[in-house]
This record gives sequence, C-alpha cells and structure tokens, in this order.
Amino acid sequence: MNPPTRNTLHGAFTNAVEQARREPGTTRDRAPRRGRNPVARTNVLAAAGIVVAVALNLLAGRHPIAFGDLLAALGGKVVPAVSFMLWEDRLPQAAVGLLAGAAFGASGAIFQRMLRNPLASPDVIGVGYGASAAAVAGMLLFGAQGLGLSLLACAGGLAVALLIYAIADSGRHTGARLILAGIAVAAMLQGIIQYLLTRTDVRTASDALRWLTGSLSASTWERAGLLAAALAILLPLLVPAASKLRILELGDDSAAGLGLNVRATRLGLILLGVGLTAVATAVTGPLAFISFLAGPLALRLCAGRSHLGSAALIGALLVTTATFMASNILPDMQLPVGVVTGALGAPFLIWVLVRSNKEGTGA
Amino acid sequence: MALLEAQDLTLGYDAVSILDELSLQLPTGEVTIIVGANGCGKSTLLRGLARLLKPAGGKVLLNGEDIHGRPAREVAKLLGLLPQTPTAPDGISVRELIGRGRYPHQGWFKRFTSQDEAAVERAMEMTNTTDLAERLVDELSGGQRQRVWIAMALAQETELLLLDEPTTYLDVAHQLEVLDVISELNRTRGTTVVIVLHDLNLAARYADHLIALKQGKVVAAGHPADIVTEEMVKNVFSMPCRVIPDPVAGTPLVLPIGRHRVLRAESVLAAKGIHRTQNPDAGLEAGTAAATGAAQTGPAANAANEDTSQRAENVSEILAFGTHVLGVERIGENFTRITLGGADLEHFGAGPQPLDLRIKLLMQTDAAGNTSRQFGSLRPGAVLSADEATGWYRRWLGLPAESRGAMRTYTVRALRPAGHRDNRGTGAEIDIDFVLHLSTEGGQPSGGPATMWAAHAEIGDELLLLGPNKALCSADYGGIEFRPGSAKRILLAGDETAAPAICSILQALPAGITGHALIEVPETADIQGSTTRSGVSVQWLPRGLHPHGELLAAAVREVVAIPGAGAVITGAEPEDVNVDEEILWETATASTQPFYAWLAGEAGVIKEMRRYLVREAGMDRKQVAFMGYWRRGKSEN
Repeated sequence: MNPPTRNTLHGAFTNAVEQARREPGTTRDRAPRRGRNPVARTNVLAAAGIVVAVALNLLAGRHPIAFGDLLAALGGKVVPAVSFMLWEDRLPQAAVGLLAGAAFGASGAIFQRMLRNPLASPDVIGVGYGASAAAVAGMLLFGAQGLGLSLLACAGGLAVALLIYAIADSGRHTGARLILAGIAVAAMLQGIIQYLLTRTDVRTASDALRWLTGSLSASTWERAGLLAAALAILLPLLVPAASKLRILELGDDSAAGLGLNVRATRLGLILLGVGLTAVATAVTGPLAFISFLAGPLALRLCAGRSHLGSAALIGALLVTTATFMASNILPDMQLPVGVVTGALGAPFLIWVLVRSNKEGTGA
Repeated sequence: MALLEAQDLTLGYDAVSILDELSLQLPTGEVTIIVGANGCGKSTLLRGLARLLKPAGGKVLLNGEDIHGRPAREVAKLLGLLPQTPTAPDGISVRELIGRGRYPHQGWFKRFTSQDEAAVERAMEMTNTTDLAERLVDELSGGQRQRVWIAMALAQETELLLLDEPTTYLDVAHQLEVLDVISELNRTRGTTVVIVLHDLNLAARYADHLIALKQGKVVAAGHPADIVTEEMVKNVFSMPCRVIPDPVAGTPLVLPIGRHRVLRAESVLAAKGIHRTQNPDAGLEAGTAAATGAAQTGPAANAANEDTSQRAENVSEILAFGTHVLGVERIGENFTRITLGGADLEHFGAGPQPLDLRIKLLMQTDAAGNTSRQFGSLRPGAVLSADEATGWYRRWLGLPAESRGAMRTYTVRALRPAGHRDNRGTGAEIDIDFVLHLSTEGGQPSGGPATMWAAHAEIGDELLLLGPNKALCSADYGGIEFRPGSAKRILLAGDETAAPAICSILQALPAGITGHALIEVPETADIQGSTTRSGVSVQWLPRGLHPHGELLAAAVREVVAIPGAGAVITGAEPEDVNVDEEILWETATASTQPFYAWLAGEAGVIKEMRRYLVREAGMDRKQVAFMGYWRRGKSEN
C-alpha cells in the first residue's frame, strides 16, 4: 500500500532526509565480505580501543602519571598527588565517559535503526534538546543537582519524544515525519534554552552553559554511580529491543504480519532510547553528535550489519578518545569534551547529507 | 484448516471508508485471487484480512474468532503476510532474512532452534533459494529477492498466506516463477492462499477462486471460468475486451481493446458500443428452409395471443402499405420513375427526410392473394398482436416459394406528404426509381422480377410494399444506412443501382456539408438532374464501353488520395468477402469522424473500392458504409 512517493511538501530537506534513509556506505562500496563475524571482530577491536584510550587518559597527556605510580595507586597505595588525581578526577571521568558514551551510542542506534535513517539520532530529532531544556530550567530555576537533575532531564527528553511521536504518528511515513517534527521541536527548545540563559545570573548561566557544551570535568563517583545504576536497568533491555528491531526493520506491515505489535514496540523502543539519552545527558550534558556518530560508524565497521552492542562500544570509544583529545589538543587549556565531539560530528553530518543526496540522484 | 472470513467488514483510512460492509469467505485449501481496478480497495481488503487495518465496522474471523481479539503472535502462527513493498535491512543475508520469518514461533529470549532451522531449509528448498542462502539480499535481482521474501513468509509455516501484489516490478518470466512457487505451496502443503494481483490473465490462470472488486464491493466471485466474461471485465475495469479461451491453460484470456493499435473492425466494435450492422436482406435466399417450421407455428401463436392484439400502426415499426401506381415516367435511358399513392401511405415515413430510406417491394404475388393476406395484418388499421409485429419475414418465407412472389429492396427517391404541390392525388405519394436491367431474349424483354414489373407498370397497378411506420420510426430507422454522424465532408459513390439513393440523399443533405457524389451510369442519357442544398459536388460518370465500375473506382481514387507517408497509419488488409457467396454489407451506426463515405452498387466494384479505402487510404471503418446492392451475373432486379 505504501507508494514510494516522496512527501514533497517539505521540500529539499525532506529529500535529504528520505534519501538518507539508505544508510551510507552500506550497499555501494562494501568490500567483499571480510571475516566470518564482523560484529564480533568490531566489538573486540572497540573494546581494545577503549582500553587503550582509557590508559592514554590516565598515563599520557598534560599531567602524565608514571606507569609504576599508576599501578601503585590503583593497588590502593597512597602516592602523593597521583592518588588524588587518579581517584578523584581521572577515574570517575573515565567511568562517566565510558557509560555516557555507551548510552548515547546505543540510544542513537535504536532511533537510527527504527526509523531507518542515519539522521534520526536523538540529538538531531530534539530528544536531547528536550532533556537539555528541562535540565537547564531545573538548574537555573530550582538549583537542581544530582539525581533530581537526572530525573528532570529524563522527564524532559521523554516529554519531547512523546510530543514528536504524537505529531508524527498518523500511520504513514512515520519515520520522515518524526525527523522533521523533531527538528522543528529542537529549534523551539533551543530558543527556550537561550531565553532561560539570558534571564539568569551570569555565574549560574555560565555553569549551565558549560553543562550545555557537554563536559566530563564535573564527573564524580556519585554521578558515575547514578549513571551506572540507571544503565544497569536500561542496557539489558537492549537484548529484547534488538530482537524486536530485527523484525520492525522489515517494514511495519511485515512486522505486523509476523505478530509484532508495531505501535507498542515502537513506543517501547522510543522510551528506551529516550531513557538512555536522558540519563547520560543529565550527567554529562549533551555530548554533541555521539549518538549520531556511533551507529553509522558501527554499521560500517560491522560490514553493514547493525548491532546495538557495537554501537554502544563505539560510543564509549568515541567519548574516551575525545576526552583525551579535549584535554591535550591545546597546549594551555583544557577543552570541554563536547567541543571535540561537536567538531568531529559536524563534518560527518555534512558528509552524510552530501552522500545521501548523491546516492539519491545517482540511483 | 484455518478458515478466514470477513463479516460486514468496513475498512477505511481516517474518515474515508474504502470497503463498506463487505462479507466474504476464503475457501480453505484454495488459491483465491483478488482483482480490480486501481483504487478499488483490493489491497485495503487484504490489509484488513491480515489485521493490519482495524475495521471501522464488522469483523474478520479466523477460525470463527475475531482476529483482533487474539494475541498477535498466535495469529501470526496461522496467518502469514507478504506486503507489497517489504524492506530488507542492509547487509542481511538471505538465510538470516528467511530466519526472521520464525519470529512468531520464538519466545522472548529463545534462540534459534533446530526446528526453526529445518523450517528455513524447507522454505528455501520450496522457493529454490538454497543456493542463495549466504548471499546478501541487497545483491539479488528482483525475482530472486521476491522469492526470498516468499521464503520468509513460508518459514512462518502458516496455514494461510496473504500476498499483496507479489509480482509487481517483475518481468513476465519472474511473475510466472513467483506464481508457480505459490501454486506449488498450495498443492503440496494445502496452504490457503490469498493474492492481490494486477494481471487479470495470470489471475484467471492461477486462481481457484477469483474475486472481482469494484469500488469496495464484490462484483463477481467464483471460478475464473465462470466469472471472467467480457461484461464483467467491462464492468470492473471500464474497458472493452474480448475473452477467449487461453490456448495454453484453457482458462479465460482477456484481450483488452484500447482506442489505438487495434484492428479496425475491433475498434469499430468497441468504440461507444458501435456494432457493424448486418444486411437486413441477408438470408433472403439462405433462410428459406429454416423459416418454414417457424411459420407453421404461426397461426397457433396468433390464436393464443388474440387478446393482446392492437392496431398495427401502434405496435409495429414495419407496416405493409397497399399502394397503386399514380404515374410512370421514363427519366433516363435505363431509369423509370414510378409514383405510388394510396391511403396507407399516410402512415409511411421515418424522420423528416427520406434519406436513403429503404423499403421492400413485393412483386409477382399470386392471384390467390396469399401474400396479401399474409401481410394484411401489418397494414395500417389492421389488428395484430404484439408478437406478430416481428417475424413477418419468416412468415413470408414460410409461404410456398412459387406463390409468395419476390421481395426486393428499393430506395425511396422522394416522399411527398399529402398536399404537396407536386402530388398527383390528394394523399401522400412516394417516388421510386427503377433501373431497367433489361436484355432482350427471343424478341421479348426479360430481366429480374422488379425490372419486369417496372417495365410493364401502368397507372392503377397495385403494389404492396413494406416500410417504416411514421409513428414509430425516426431517422435512426434500421433501413437507413446513410449515417454520417458528425461528418462535414462526405463521399457518396455508386453505380446506377445506387443512383436513386444518392439522389435522395443529396436532396436531403443540409447546407454546410461538402464533399463528392460520384455516380456511374450506363449512358449519357441516364444522367438525371439532381438537386442539393449542400456543397457536395455531383459527378455523373457515363460508362459507355468501359467495364462496369472502372470509371467509378478511378474517380474515388482521385477524390480520396492516399495520405502522405506517416500521416495516418494505413489500415490492415480488410478481411476478404466472397461477393459471389455472401453479401458485402458493412456499415457503422455512428461516427465522430469529420469524414464519412457511403458506397453502394455492384458487389465486386464495392469490394475493390473497400480495399483501396481501408488498406491504402487508411480509412477507419467506422466512417464508411460499404454495400453490395447486387452481384453481376445474378439476376436480382
């Protein structure tokens, strides 16, 4: 029943959105099939990369820690200067980075796969902004912190996700409409955030601004614990989510024919994706483009097979690598990690749009 | 076996209802195919049956239970679906995709079992996709991909399988391949199959049960051989067609008739329901024997129907008119005009003008008056029953051949109502021009019965004729073969036998019509004064020593030139008519063409001109009338 006509109402951007649905780099230039199981290989490589990146964060960089000192400090000995730096700064930072990266990566991959469009990551479609707006409002208006902030961010992200879903859900072309509605809502939310920032005290506002850029510098064990607890609940849900996604991605009609309750499943997946994004956002602020990048990168590395676990690992790898770059790329100052991920992500977004347009016209 | 049925099912999108209170049952173990025009709701029906659409009213019952009241997974174990455009995830292998069909049989955390594996293997074997198992779905051709999707639906191992246009975008070989797979599935597993299909011929071939939908309603349902008819297709698709037995499968084969690229005879038949007419005189000779039986039952039928009797002029389109000769005038070397009058003629006529108005004259009736008696009931004022109004021709044929006389068809040259200034008497009068094809044998002139009658006609002679009843006939009277439709340019061509008709047509033609009238006559002395208000130029062609028809054919060629190459598609060779055995008679009932041609006369000559006009000049047969009035060597007039 679904005719392959494009919704021309929304003009050129819709084109890009629709065409981007064909994920880039998966059909055209795939190398001949490598290895027996590219997913497993990718996961191993990503895990190794994470270990290396964490080690680099701990050992190298602006204030290097000697390997011996590190082992000693990890072993529980008190090494002057090193112990404090390690336990109070670098380790919680690495833990939060890992967990948030994984959450962002998995969340992005859920949305991208469900909507069959690499543009459909939560940060692009406004879910991230929902969480941000709620968190900023909480911070500025009620001085929210810690768990309260997390819950606010969750609620904000969820509210926005449901709003977008309600706008887009009319039975047809839900994917493309969701993205367009999300982009519109995101623009609106950005306006609200800007307004809140201009209306508050400069010092409070600068804290909020720093949070909005996305940073791991405020990471503490308490926050890491909070995040870990939330993810301990959410990450296992990826297993049934993946099995439903495998059916859902055959198309709504096929999925329904196979006995999947399409609307309920889609709603469940949205809730899971929003939850992941929101809990991570509450701790680190919106780390730009992680959820957008992780899915497509994992897809390419897995020779075209999408895998939520791989996306989570790639997300974690991206954040830990970006952390190292952020603290060492400029000689005299430490950048918030969000600046680096944003700088990496923007060109990738452009590349996706250009590529999808080319594929669209070339096909 | 799983039984799927719809009860008063109403389906629609938003507020628009597409199917309204539709009820049907899908025969178990059979292949049901749903056909219909675009937008008739056939895919909607399939979606409704597959519980993808919640009904706005009514129910879909699976084994007697509402399909929406059962857990989705339970239904999915009984009912499989292949939607029109399923999407294959990127980078998925054939085996993996087919494996996803096992989803309803798997639990939340249950992995792929050996049972699942076996089902996948069976599905691949059946669809001939085993060799493709490790390939990526993206890399497959359209036909292979469709087989893989079917395999996925098969792996679901359901008793019911619904497919929405499974052959879309496939070439004909792959369409057959897909339908063969489905057929085989039905045969070997007994799966009940429901398919929505565009191709009517494939549907007729592969369906055990065909359902034709039109505007959300079931128009016909049953075995294709029973329901695929020309009327059904016309009704459902609004397209004229012919239905013949498929020489390959024996099932009905629908041959669509469009506006173009159709043999002309067929397009004539198709366009606006135009049918080529039969010569009303056909069977004059042939039908004699067959008619005798019918005539004998005549009187009994008459008696039975007496109480339904009415006056002839109120029920019968054809009346018998008793007339007598008012005047005999020699108007050319070979033409004699006979003026007939009589009280009966008050009722004679068809529309305002006697335009090519053909009537039947009864000659050589016997003294006993059998014939007059036979037609007496058809005379104005006589009483006859409604069913006597028809069948007079058969009854006449039923009379003894030696005494019934001869019946000949002539054209009315002029019809003057009572009071016309040219009338000789007080009543209505008609003129008939006779061509005297006389030869002299043994000092006595001889010829056909009409020629003989006209040659010897004297004032006061009686003549019975059959013609249209003025009260019931209009210009579309069947005896009138000149039907120019909306044509503004016309061609009239014929030999001396057609001259009276041409002259009467010319006289009746309105101004504003242009064209040519070509009349070949034996001698210069046969040229008659003809009058017309139209812009048609009249050309008389005295034959002299030329063969019959030669001058006429040459003149027609000159008037209707062969169009420049490519200007029109020249026609196919017209089918042959043996003018010695059959009567050449092809006319159309209406034409929207700007040009119309009317040709009549000796059958051999007409046949030649027909070939020229149809094949070489590329004229459409709905803009021409070809009439073989007589055949050389056969004494007619």
